[in-house]
Amino acid sequence: MDFTQFTIEKLRQMLDAKEISTKELTQGFLDRITRYDDELQSYITVTSERALKDAEVAQKEINKGNAGMLCGIPLAIKDNICTDGVRTTCASKMLEDFIPPYNATVMEKLEAQHIIMLGKTSMDEFAMGGSTQTSAFAKTKNPYNTACVPGGSSGGSAASVSASLAVAAIGSDTGGSIRQPAAFCGVTGLKPTYGRVSRYGLVAFASSLDQIGPIAKNARDCAWILSTIAGYDPHDGTVSKRGVDDYTAKLGKSIKGLKIALPKEFFSEGIDKEIRDAVLKAAETYQTMGAQLVECSMPSLKYAVAAYYLIASAEASSNLSRYDGIKYGYRSKVGDTFQELICNSRSEGFGNEVKRRILLGNYALSSGYYDAYYGKALALKQKISAEYAQIFENCDVILTPTIPSVAYGINENISDPVKMYQADICTVTVNIASLPAISTPCGYSSSGMPIGMSLVGKQFDESTILQFADAFEQQFTSNAPMFSK
Amino acid sequence: MIAYLAELGKLHFTPDEMETMAREMTNIIEIMDTVKEIDVVYDTEADNKNVYLNDLREDVKADSFPTEKILQNAVQDENCFVVPKVVE
Repeated sequence: MDFTQFTIEKLRQMLDAKEISTKELTQGFLDRITRYDDELQSYITVTSERALKDAEVAQKEINKGNAGMLCGIPLAIKDNICTDGVRTTCASKMLEDFIPPYNATVMEKLEAQHIIMLGKTSMDEFAMGGSTQTSAFAKTKNPYNTACVPGGSSGGSAASVSASLAVAAIGSDTGGSIRQPAAFCGVTGLKPTYGRVSRYGLVAFASSLDQIGPIAKNARDCAWILSTIAGYDPHDGTVSKRGVDDYTAKLGKSIKGLKIALPKEFFSEGIDKEIRDAVLKAAETYQTMGAQLVECSMPSLKYAVAAYYLIASAEASSNLSRYDGIKYGYRSKVGDTFQELICNSRSEGFGNEVKRRILLGNYALSSGYYDAYYGKALALKQKISAEYAQIFENCDVILTPTIPSVAYGINENISDPVKMYQADICTVTVNIASLPAISTPCGYSSSGMPIGMSLVGKQFDESTILQFADAFEQQFTSNAPMFSK
Repeated sequence: MIAYLAELGKLHFTPDEMETMAREMTNIIEIMDTVKEIDVVYDTEADNKNVYLNDLREDVKADSFPTEKILQNAVQDENCFVVPKVVE
């Protein structure tokens, strides 16, 4: 049986027709993890025993004829999503031994569907980074070339799906952390509208930007997962009460007559030619399907990275102040006073990138600098949101590259935080404007690395970007990554 | 400046770490300075109209977490968090 060809849709049919049992399926994925993940390092914790128990429960539901779409589907969960009784590290020494006393709402919803949790995937520490190389425990590699990074921060989730060490995975996206690793690893990643999916139980990085979403082999599978995890939650005051759409309803429907906007700034210098060409070629493909292309402009894009890092770091510096070594998390062995213990625990528990963001956040919020930095960043958030709103007056979706360059070598850029931050230029505006966006593969570089394009939608219009991504995927032939035997 | 920001964040650095951090932060702040080029003002009223934020739930009585679950990740003694002596 070829495990690399499994999608949620295909497995649903196979499981319901009893062509495969949940136990065979789960054991097959666990075997693949044993075989390949020593090299790939996509998981921090593999929950083999639990997965096999989940498989038994799911099989009973299938036998009773009660199976929902995700029943018996083996999934991987990013290690910043709380799982009751299962270690959740955020890839940080600070939470190395942290066992959550509760489930994130997303986990509750997935468990209600009887999914099989294969394990917790690696990420950049506290989701701060775009390479998964700041993980304290598993520095994930790219399944298309193990000398390259998988992207981040949901690099473990993207790599596990790409290498078929899970059918699909859950990630989180604060400034591109689902879409960028999906692009680097040649899979599909959806960042929903802010407020579409509950953040309860997601370890907080930047609360006004964080959003949980799926990473899968294709847009159809993303639609099925979103249908499960979206919706109101009394535990999260920022989640929308708006009803959940049937995200599969528009899949397969014609895009004829719909309009795609191409903001010129996303195709200017700074974007590799190979990527620009691949995305523009995808735009032409949409044109042949009957869509209309519209040129547009987003003049504030050049300020987006700075605005994003100021807002995200300001919120991070506040959110991370909860780690004191007392209530939970790493506790230093040194410290005679309360203050010393807190300071030592934080200094020994956090990695360098997290410390940098705390310092930057404190700088942006400190007296005398607040208006010049944080206040200005909030004003830019409004301006960028207004520019998106204006573009959407005349189009249905916006098409951009997901990444300015393909996955780079493991040791490149790591010591240059500025270069790392600037590489987020194509993704951060979507979080700033609280919009949904999906990244799907649209080509390969001359070196064989995947290229991703992003489709950005109007607030709460995930259905239309899924429709566009699916339409493209139906005619796009993917190259197989390594580990595909 | 870095020492002040570190103090605010309850972090300490060795002299070598401090030097590296200062150099990196200087480069990062140079990028952040680009926001000063544009003349925009934050409109508080507009953000307050963001209707899908802060949909507060009904205030309903519910069970608390069990004490042992809350303390399972902490150094504890007799159902209490253990901290260094705070009062002389």
